[in-house]
Formats: sequence, C-alpha cells, structure tokens
Amino acid sequence: MLIQQLANGIAIGSVYSLISLGLTMVYGILRILHISHAGIYTLGAYVGWFSFRLVGNFWLSLFIGMIGASFSGYLVERFLYTPILHMPRIAPLIVSIGLFIAMEEAFRIIAGPHTLAYNARIGIGDLSIGSFHLTETQILILIVTFIILIFLWTFLTKTRIGLAMRACAQDAEITSSFGVNVRAIIAFNFLIGSAMAGAAGVLIGVYDNQVWPTMGSIPAYKALAIVVLGGLGNIPGTVLAALIVGLAETFFIGVLAIPFPRDAVAFIAMIIVLMFKPYGLLGKA
Amino acid sequence: MGRFIWKGSLLLIVGILLLGISYANAQDKIKIGFFAPITGPAAADGMSAKNAVELALKEVNEAGGVRGKKIELIIYDDRLNPQEAVAIANKLIEKDKVIGVVSGSYSGPTRVTAPIFQKAQIPMVAGYAVHPDVTWDPKERRPNDFCFRNGFLGEIEGAAAAEFAVKHLNAKRISLIFMDNDFGRAISSGFAERAEKLGATILTKQMYKFPGEKDFRPYLTRIKEGNPDLIFAAGYYNEAASIVRQAKELGIKAQILGEEGFDSPKFLEIAGPSAEGVIIATNLDRDDPRPIVQNFLANYKKMYHEDADMVGASSYDAFMILIQAIEKAGTDPKAIQKALLETKDYNGLTGKISRFVQGEVVKPVQIQIVKGGKFRRLAVVDNPEVITPPVKK
Repeated sequence: MLIQQLANGIAIGSVYSLISLGLTMVYGILRILHISHAGIYTLGAYVGWFSFRLVGNFWLSLFIGMIGASFSGYLVERFLYTPILHMPRIAPLIVSIGLFIAMEEAFRIIAGPHTLAYNARIGIGDLSIGSFHLTETQILILIVTFIILIFLWTFLTKTRIGLAMRACAQDAEITSSFGVNVRAIIAFNFLIGSAMAGAAGVLIGVYDNQVWPTMGSIPAYKALAIVVLGGLGNIPGTVLAALIVGLAETFFIGVLAIPFPRDAVAFIAMIIVLMFKPYGLLGKA
Repeated sequence: MGRFIWKGSLLLIVGILLLGISYANAQDKIKIGFFAPITGPAAADGMSAKNAVELALKEVNEAGGVRGKKIELIIYDDRLNPQEAVAIANKLIEKDKVIGVVSGSYSGPTRVTAPIFQKAQIPMVAGYAVHPDVTWDPKERRPNDFCFRNGFLGEIEGAAAAEFAVKHLNAKRISLIFMDNDFGRAISSGFAERAEKLGATILTKQMYKFPGEKDFRPYLTRIKEGNPDLIFAAGYYNEAASIVRQAKELGIKAQILGEEGFDSPKFLEIAGPSAEGVIIATNLDRDDPRPIVQNFLANYKKMYHEDADMVGASSYDAFMILIQAIEKAGTDPKAIQKALLETKDYNGLTGKISRFVQGEVVKPVQIQIVKGGKFRRLAVVDNPEVITPPVKK
C-alpha cells in the first residue's frame, strides 16, 4: 500500500509543480508575486470544461484549455503588469490580488456557483499490478506533466529564446543591452507559465471531476509556499518542492494517519526548510 | 358653505375608505420569514430549499391561503454566513415583523439565529439543519422551545444508518470517513456508537478538512488496506461524489453507505456511474406512494425542470408544519408555538411525524439506494430505540 500512496502523492505533486512553475518563472523575471496565476489556472479548467462540452474530445479540450490560459496570461502581463512595472512592487501585487478576486466572481457569475462535472473519457485505461492500482487519471497526470517538463527543460536549455529567458531572469538590464528584446521575453514567460497553469487546471478538473469558481483559492497560496520552498525563481527547485509537498500531504493523511489539514503541510515544510536553508531547497543567495 | 361641507365630508369618506383598504391589505397577509444559502458554497442546496418553499407557498396561496389570508414569504440569502444570518434574524423580527420563520439553511446560520428567535418568542421550524443547538440552549441548559426541527439530529441519522448497516447489510468490519464540521462529527459519532453496540468493529476513523478537501485517495488507500466490508462516508454532495468516484477508481469493492448530504442531483451528476449501488440514510422517500410525496416530486419537476432533493423536501415540510400550526392556532406567535408543541401524527412530505420531543422530530429514517442513476427506496428504519431523540436535562 505504500507504493499506492507513493503514486497518489506523486500525482498530486505533479499538478502542484505545473501550477507553481508559472509562478516561479514570473517571479524570476519580474520579481512580482503573480497571485492571479491561480485565477488563470481556474480559467484553464473552465475553458477546458467548456470546450470538452463543445467538441467532446478530452485531448483537444486540454489543448484548448492551455491555449486559453496562455492567452489570458499574456493579456494580464500586457495590460495589467507592464503599465505599472515602474511602480513599487506592492502595486502589481495588489493589482494581482484584485484581479484574482474579480476572476473568481466572474467565473461564478458566468458559469454559476455550482460545481461542474468534467466527466471526460480519456481512453488510456487503468493499470493494475496486484493490489497496486494506477488510475487512468493518475496515468494521465504523470504523462502530461512528464511531457511538459521535458518540453520546458529542452526549451530553456537548447533554444536561443530559452537562453534569453534564463539570462533575463538573472539580469534583465544587462540582457537588454546585448540586444535581447526583454518585453518579448517577458511575454513569452507568461505565455508558457500560463499554459502550464491551464494544463494543471484541466488535469485537476478531470482528476477530481470537478470544476468550480473558487478552485484556485487554495492553489493561490499553496503554490506560493511551494515556490518559496523551492527557492524563488528556481525551476528545478520548484518541481522538487512540489513533489515533496504532494508526497508529504499524502503520507501525513494516508500512512501516518494524522488528522491534520492537508493545506498546512506546504507551509510547515516551507518553515522547516527556511530555518535551515533561507533561500529554499535549491535557491542561491 | 353647505356645498363645502358636503364636498369635505365626501373627501373624508373617500379618505377613510382608502385608509381602510390599505389597512386591510396589510392585515390580509400573513408574513413568514425564510433564509437559505442561495449564493455561496452551498448554493445548490439553498436554491433547492428556496424553490421548494416557494412551491409550497404557491400551493397554499392558490388554495385560498390560511384562515382566509394569503401568506407573504420574506426571503433572505444568508450565503452560509452566520454573521449574515444574525442580521437577517433581527431584520425579520424588527423590520418585517414576521409571525414565524422557516430555516432552509445549514447548521451554522440556523443555530446562531435560534437564540434570537427564542428571545423574541417567534417560532422557527428548521428544514434540515442538524446541530443540536438549534433546539437547545447550551448556556442556559434548557430547550429553545420556540425552535423546531423537521430534519434529523446528526446522531439519530447516523445511528439509523448503523442500524441498517449491521442488521440488514451484515456489516462487521466498518471504516469511517467524515468531514471535520458539526455535521460530520455528529453523524459519524452516532453511527460508530450504534454500530459498536450492535457488535460491529470500526477499523478506521478518518476525518477530512471541510471545505477544501478534494483528493480522498490517501484516505481511501488506507481504508482499502484494512479491507472493510462497509464504508460509512459523511460529507456534502461534492465531497460525497469525490469519495464514491475515487473509491471506485482505486478498486474498492466495499459497500459505501452515506447520509443525507449525498441526497442531491448534483451528487448523481458528479459521481456518474460510480454512484450506482451507493446506499444513503436520508429524509425523503421518493417511492412513498402517498399523494403528498408524488405530487410534490411531480410539481417540483414541472416547475423547475430538475428533480427535487432531500433539502427541498425538508424545507417544504418545515414550511407546511408552520402553516398547519397557523391554521390551527391563528396568527399569534405564542399560540403557533403551542400548536407546534402539540403536533401529533402529522402527515408530512418527508414522513409521518408522530410528535416533537424538545423540538426534535420523531419520524422514521429513510434508507435509499442509487439505481439507474436515481435514488430509490430500499428500507425504512423505524426502531423507536434508534429514532427517538434523547431527552436532555
């Protein structure tokens, strides 16, 4: 059963990593706490749900959900963050929180307060070996996360845009002096990060079979804890932290059987790690 | 001069007549208050309750009202927020001057309003709130004798579920999973107590956070390890659907037994085919042949184009219980309370109420099973030892 809990933990941890990556990338380049990222995650789930109702194909709905989230992430960057970047960092933070609340209310008004069932047919099938049981949606999450992470890694390390993105995260001004269009790189960051959040939204929509207006409210702060835990702006650290949080939550509940609110685990992990490593798991001073 | 007096007195007469008419209008209506979580996290239940009570209102008024007067229902949305509910209770008493109140809300908002209505001596009938403090004042250690409950106490419903699980399903090894709130704790403690008394073993008791928990796989994996023959699960429809669905996904074969929180079309929709065979203890028997039940189900469907649920039926009943008391006793709140106290063998939509014990209803608990995507009758628990609420001192 331990191995079963391992699968449960890695599956939820994978989704956490998809949500948190966008957040950490935005922080890395703009030094903004992008709270409304969780709203974009919810938007991805709704767009996915809606397009699944229209086209009836899960994979297509996942793709459309990602595109929808990606595009809205770009809009947020272009029309909300860019105009106020010269202000103190508290200004974009307040804007971001405000936008997140507005988005939640908009989802409620447009799609109704009720939980919507995704009820997607994915067509992978379960995997059973003895008493170990990997459900279809868990396999789906593992495959999609794996593909996205491989894509992200290749993109960041093997392409010129990826190189420019990493350079911008280190020092945007110097990078710009080398003739790199920093504005375009920032936009790229939002496009990719938001697409991953959209994918996470659709995956959770299928995994829990529920899409609801406030589904982003817990990820909004949990992803923040994960990003800090991994070392702000550090991509491998974020993936590692997300998996640790997913596994820790699962083991607290399922193995140690401590009646403990799951959402506190990320913060406890964050506090413990920060006590010993003030810059997070893989963060550098 | 004479003409002036004549005109003046004519005006005066018209004036008096007009006044009289408006006075009669105000007096012609009986005001009843109602609150439910119409928006917010429990909106599906709140809407059900509101719809059902509005249906009841329409039926009563179309049949000529009560004692020749029409009923006016004053509806408020508490958004599942106790602070909001307190403000609503005060408004209903002071501004709207209602003579009775129906709660279509959960325990949280209902229990905080109970002492307010008690103090104002305005009778309240709660549709389905389960917390003991609705009918009981824990500080003064005496019943809120102006507050009545049409739904079951959590402990009673849990005990009835256990009665059925052990005696009819022969469950011996049972795992419990319940949400961490008043309702989840009360119903599962009632269940565990009765099940152990009847000789069953409780393997695991797991509590999950409410609201917020969506991923029940870690809990269910642990349950699967113990290999129980029955899982008693407590939660509202969203959690219930997740538990049932994820249990099926993980290959758990044990019978799942739930409670009235499952009793919603939303549960069936979200759980989908995994809901088949799930058994629940609840407060509505859809296969009850009595016309009051079948008419309600048909009329509700006709009016709102969806199936009625337990929450709606219980709120409908709460409203009708209040109406029959007004019919009997008139519009004086104290007389209404007296009539409610004397309720005997009332033929309600959610079952025959034999009486109220300290405001708590005494009536059989319904056991329903999901068959073909619908709730159907499976059994009725009417053992008086189980369904009679304990008298508190």
